[in-house]
Amino acid sequence: MFNFSMELNGQTIAFFALAVCVITGAVLMLNFTKVVHMVVSLAFSFVGLAGIYVLLEAEFVAFVQVLVYAGAISILMIFGIMMTRHDKQDEVIMKPWKEALAAIGCLALFGVLFFAIRGTQFPTPADKPLSEDNTLALGKLLFTEHVIPFELLSVLLTVAFIGAIVLAKNDDPTSINPSSALTDQSSVSASEPLSSGLQQLQEPPKGGNPT
Amino acid sequence: MQELIQQSFTWQNGLVFFGWGVVFLFVVLGFVTYAIYFERKVIGWMQLRHGPTRVGPLGLLQTVADILKLLLKEDTIPKKADRALFILAPVLVYVPSFAVLATIPYTQSLGFADLNVGLLYYAALSSISTIGVVLGGWASNNKYSLLGGMRSAAQMISYEIPLVMSVVGVIMLNGSLSLRTIVGGQGNNFWEWNFLPQIIGFVIFMIAAVSELNRTPFDLPEAESELVAGYHVEYSGFRFAFFMLAEYVYVFAISALTTVLFLGGWHPPLAVLDFIPGLLWFVLKFSFCVFFLFWLRATMPRIRVDQLMSFGWKVLLPLAILNIFLTAAYIEIFNK
Repeated sequence: MFNFSMELNGQTIAFFALAVCVITGAVLMLNFTKVVHMVVSLAFSFVGLAGIYVLLEAEFVAFVQVLVYAGAISILMIFGIMMTRHDKQDEVIMKPWKEALAAIGCLALFGVLFFAIRGTQFPTPADKPLSEDNTLALGKLLFTEHVIPFELLSVLLTVAFIGAIVLAKNDDPTSINPSSALTDQSSVSASEPLSSGLQQLQEPPKGGNPT
Repeated sequence: MQELIQQSFTWQNGLVFFGWGVVFLFVVLGFVTYAIYFERKVIGWMQLRHGPTRVGPLGLLQTVADILKLLLKEDTIPKKADRALFILAPVLVYVPSFAVLATIPYTQSLGFADLNVGLLYYAALSSISTIGVVLGGWASNNKYSLLGGMRSAAQMISYEIPLVMSVVGVIMLNGSLSLRTIVGGQGNNFWEWNFLPQIIGFVIFMIAAVSELNRTPFDLPEAESELVAGYHVEYSGFRFAFFMLAEYVYVFAISALTTVLFLGGWHPPLAVLDFIPGLLWFVLKFSFCVFFLFWLRATMPRIRVDQLMSFGWKVLLPLAILNIFLTAAYIEIFNK
């Protein structure tokens, strides 16, 4: 289990470079104090992960990762952050025993992952190289063998989508719903979170309401 | 070029790759320089003006002078701006715009990477530019640039969906995401190109592409007469130049992508014209796409922001889905 054999070729170097990128992004995400900076470092982490997928010859997953996580999710988070108030960067005081518990938890998680990964026998790839038309193979599998989970997932997504529309379509003009700002910026409900996001930029807020 | 890319990676090959990348960068910069000149000239002529005439013969050096001015300008960073993000934003906008060009095949032999997910690569990387735009708007600490950034992001996200959905029909007809295969699937006559069987997809793609580029009639993020300028109000000099550069590199990318997906890439419009090299045909079609964008800018009024959003979500998206459905039905009925 502990015998690591590793040859130093381009792939290994690329893997380590990308792994450093991912970990740097994750550590920075935890250490930054401004929320927008956190999201940017998270996006950096996502892009690094996509690089690792490319290295594993899973191009489709890699670019979907960039499209969905680095692109869409990050922008959604940035929007959410900009439209809510973040006046104070509140310091969380950690109790020492909490830190110790967290450290033990982390070590335990690492141990579980390490033993599980090292103990697994990975099947060797078939005669055909993975990179050849893997998107086509993926599509075929998705629509033949795994079609029922695929359809169930699409139903779930449709339900979530309609639910989001129903939640956002709140006629009460005093309520704040940032999600509708994506589709219609001119509506009354959307202009409120936008202006509160703007308020946050006017520093320091002197007494009254600047808008 | 394909043989070159397939070789094993050594220091020499790495240098050759780098050299090609630099050459291509200069080609793109040259394109951007003269696209701006061409745009000003064309719009000038359409509006019965002369356009630039003073710097150099026929005003040919006008853009060069403009770029020189931008490079020599003082690089200001607002005191209350978020310094790190302010510097990062132009980089985040520009790098993906140049990186998407890697997957576009220019001729049978000329092209950089033939990814089997070429189209997805394009869509994925161009979505990173949006982050740069939003961050640029936010980091400037200026309400007008924040508004511009918000508008821009909302618009780019809303129109990216119909843009990607409209090319699904092309993907279904060719059975591949690779741009090289898609061009290969089109023939040597113009009626064998994708724009005729995919006419709905083509129209949606063009509209969504213009909107993705933030150009008139969808140039709300930087509407000169409504907002101060948009997300780049606080930027000056070199950083501003990068935002502009990214915009024109995306003009290059979208025009090349339209040529590849719908207008047959390097194929001639009639089989008898096959003796003319493919690169020339590519450049001709590509130039027409670029001209089309300038033409639109000179003749179309700007539309309102609420119209823009409802048009994207309520008209283009259902049409794109309908197009997918029709294509699927066509394939099911005729190709079985």
